[in-house]
Amino acid sequence: MLKLTDVSVNYGSFTAIKHVNIEVTEGEIVVLLGANGAGKSTTFRAISGINKLDNGEIYFQNRAIGGRAPDKNVQAGIVQCAEGRKLFPQMTVQENLRMGAYVHRRKKTEIKHSLENVYELFPILKEKHHHDAGSLSGGQQQMLAIGRALMSKPKLLMLDEPSVGLAPLIVEQMFQVIEEINREGITLLLAEQNANAALSIADKGYVFENGEIVVQGTANELLANDDVRKAYIGA
Amino acid sequence: MEILLQQLFNSLTIGSVYSLVALGLTLVYGILHIPNFAHGALYMMGGYITLTMMTAFGFNYWVAMFVSILVVGLIGVLLERFVFRLLREAPPLHDKIAAIGILLFLEAFAQFVWGADFQTMTSPYGQVVTIMGLTFTMQRLLIIVSAIVVMILLYLFLKKTFTGASIIAMSQSREGASLVGININKVAMLTFMISGGLAAIAASLASPINLVFPGMGHLVILKAFVIIILGGMGSIPGAIVGGYILGFSESLGATYISNDYKDIIAFVLLVIILTVKPTGLFAKGER
Ligand SMILES: Nc1ncnc2c1ncn2[C@@H]1O[C@H](COP(=O)(O)OP(=O)(O)OP(=O)(O)O)[C@@H](O)[C@H]1O
Ligand SMILES: [Mg+2]
Repeated sequence: MLKLTDVSVNYGSFTAIKHVNIEVTEGEIVVLLGANGAGKSTTFRAISGINKLDNGEIYFQNRAIGGRAPDKNVQAGIVQCAEGRKLFPQMTVQENLRMGAYVHRRKKTEIKHSLENVYELFPILKEKHHHDAGSLSGGQQQMLAIGRALMSKPKLLMLDEPSVGLAPLIVEQMFQVIEEINREGITLLLAEQNANAALSIADKGYVFENGEIVVQGTANELLANDDVRKAYIGA
Repeated sequence: MEILLQQLFNSLTIGSVYSLVALGLTLVYGILHIPNFAHGALYMMGGYITLTMMTAFGFNYWVAMFVSILVVGLIGVLLERFVFRLLREAPPLHDKIAAIGILLFLEAFAQFVWGADFQTMTSPYGQVVTIMGLTFTMQRLLIIVSAIVVMILLYLFLKKTFTGASIIAMSQSREGASLVGININKVAMLTFMISGGLAAIAASLASPINLVFPGMGHLVILKAFVIIILGGMGSIPGAIVGGYILGFSESLGATYISNDYKDIIAFVLLVIILTVKPTGLFAKGER
């Protein structure tokens, strides 16, 4: 479904990711692991079209999409729930969710349907639908960001550290929700620091170090890999 | 009492014009963070185009205004596409320099095409009416009503349509906007178009009670900047309320202090409000 071949991205003279190769099959959960600054978000930004490629190509459903504008990618079904959430802070929760359906703006009943689905997934958002997004707690904002991404009915959903800053109990719930989203047929690409939780729901994973992929394999292989365990699981 | 009422009415007239100009300025600032110094020149172009349509082509006042909205809106789009978009990655100073360059260019252009003379625009609404002891020309009433109608339409557009909401969304988070699939470039052009259109409306409404000349935008744009600083840069309600506050203070000042000093009032008000509330009256939360 998604394929990165030999992708590099530079910020000025600094190369953030080097010759990255990733393959995601439809229906999978694929996790990107790596320390701070390893290049996970940059990879997501490249797939979304926010960052230009300096080398390589990205294919989505067998079409080259490298360098395509972000709005075209959202229309094609590639949606990202970014680091820092990027909500519209002075819009209400409901307005934020409706904006998420921007690419489907002419389909009123479909939007209403999606809205109900998101409220079912995150009941707290329904409770707070009249509040400004900026007034929500960090965890609630995270749910809103995921909800907003779902409103566009993605085929491929990229979640950039969905568990960051959440209480342990909420993290567990969050991963359950992520599995649920996947069961509904959405392919997931997940960037995570929480390797244990992420690998427990993932099909396969890639480990980034300084912008390069150093290890890759199925979730079980990575869980069994000594280097990975030492670096990211702490056991 | 009667004088006060009369002044109140006058202040609504000038306040309406100020608000319309300030709205265009604040929209562009809120979304693209460009302080568009050329906005006053767009206002001036609006005045001249409406005037030319009426005198040279014999168009009706409203048709002339409509053409003016389209032309100035288009100038706005061209400015975004061929000037400000190219400067998006450049340091903010470059936007400001470009805006001043456009201002100088448009003024020289107007002087070249229409000459430096002061010209009058005769509106079909020059008749004087007296209602409840208030004496005014229909044009003044028209300014107030039209401005309010335009503001309501703008509000409905921004609040009730997806396209309008995409402007608000982009002003709150540009990256968030591209992540939900909004085409940033289109929204930027649309914003400049609306901003230019608002300037054309304001100039077409105000010209019959003022004059049309190449420098007609100077004082208006200075005051519009005062208004959006007062109201909070980028704030839409701030621009509207700020416009009326300024119109009101000027009218009262002209009556009770001196007509000669009325243009200074804007700047005195600026100093006072910024001392009391440095972020402006309606400043947005942190972005
Ligand atoms: N806008 C930018 N300009 C310059 N350098 C950048 C920019 N964004 C990221 N970088 C650099 O690129 C590298 C990769 O950053 P990236 O955000 O992709 O890491 P990450 O794996 O997502 O880290 P984290 O887990 O902390 O989110 C880092 O060294 C970072 O400093
Ligand atoms: Mg990151």
